[in-house]
Amino acid sequence: MGILDKAFLKSLWVFHLATGSCNNCDIEILDCLTPRHDIERFGMLLAGSIKHADVLLVTGAVNRQCIPRIKRLYEQMPKPRLVVAIGECALSRGVFMHSYNCPLPLDHVIPVDVYIPGCPPRPEAIMSGLMQLIEKRKAEAGSTKD
Amino acid sequence: MNRQEILQAIGERFAEDIISVFEKSPKRVYIEIKAGAIVGLAQYLFKDIGARFNIASGVDGRNSMEILYHFTVEDVDLVISLRVILPKDKLAIDSLTPVFTAAHWIEREIHELLGIHFIGHPHLERLLLPEDWPEGVYPLRKDYKEWDPDAIRDRGA
Repeated sequence: MGILDKAFLKSLWVFHLATGSCNNCDIEILDCLTPRHDIERFGMLLAGSIKHADVLLVTGAVNRQCIPRIKRLYEQMPKPRLVVAIGECALSRGVFMHSYNCPLPLDHVIPVDVYIPGCPPRPEAIMSGLMQLIEKRKAEAGSTKD
Repeated sequence: MNRQEILQAIGERFAEDIISVFEKSPKRVYIEIKAGAIVGLAQYLFKDIGARFNIASGVDGRNSMEILYHFTVEDVDLVISLRVILPKDKLAIDSLTPVFTAAHWIEREIHELLGIHFIGHPHLERLLLPEDWPEGVYPLRKDYKEWDPDAIRDRGA
């Protein structure tokens, strides 16, 4: 693992995208940022702009108006980029699966690295998912140590 | 005016336009009216009685569609819902947007989701549906069928 990967995984900046969700998952994400769970101790910080972000957190079912906007956000992310789907709606659309306005699940729109199920997932589950994201990325970066 | 006086005034003024009055509760009255009378009645409720226009709701029934216009008379704590029944072969009604601007968006939404035409609306275009949505497909109708061949309707498991 090179120095870039090492630094990258110790300072993941996240951008939070709610595609019209019910705000429950969003509240749990905010809960991760509070002092109680304090996700910042892993170097994760909420970025205000997608151009500063390494991770895209998506909550909510993807609807027709959102599909081009999600694609545009994904294209604007600097590489290396990671995508996390949070909550049942982002995973499989949940109760909106047969909705006329939600034709596709998120992973048919952009590639997703980690899925965190739950309605909403607990902050502990979100942190566990993000840890698995880091482990996965570490394994992909290779075991070559410098 | 108290509750009884308001209902009496409406009943006398629009005697030939009202089909039925259903008093569901002390706070809720449904008045079924003829489709042609909606502008006059809404004008009277809004301008003379001072009711607030809450929202309209469109319902697709089995044989007809109906629109409910909900008005609140806040002084007497009363919600008046004007019910208009439209036959399915003639889905058109006069627009209320010239009377109050609050009806602008909800009429556009009912137009795009149920396909009811509002005569005299200044800007009857889509409000919420995407640009590439096909013409003549109304998603909240009972006979709506999936039109998109690319849509995935299973959980992939």
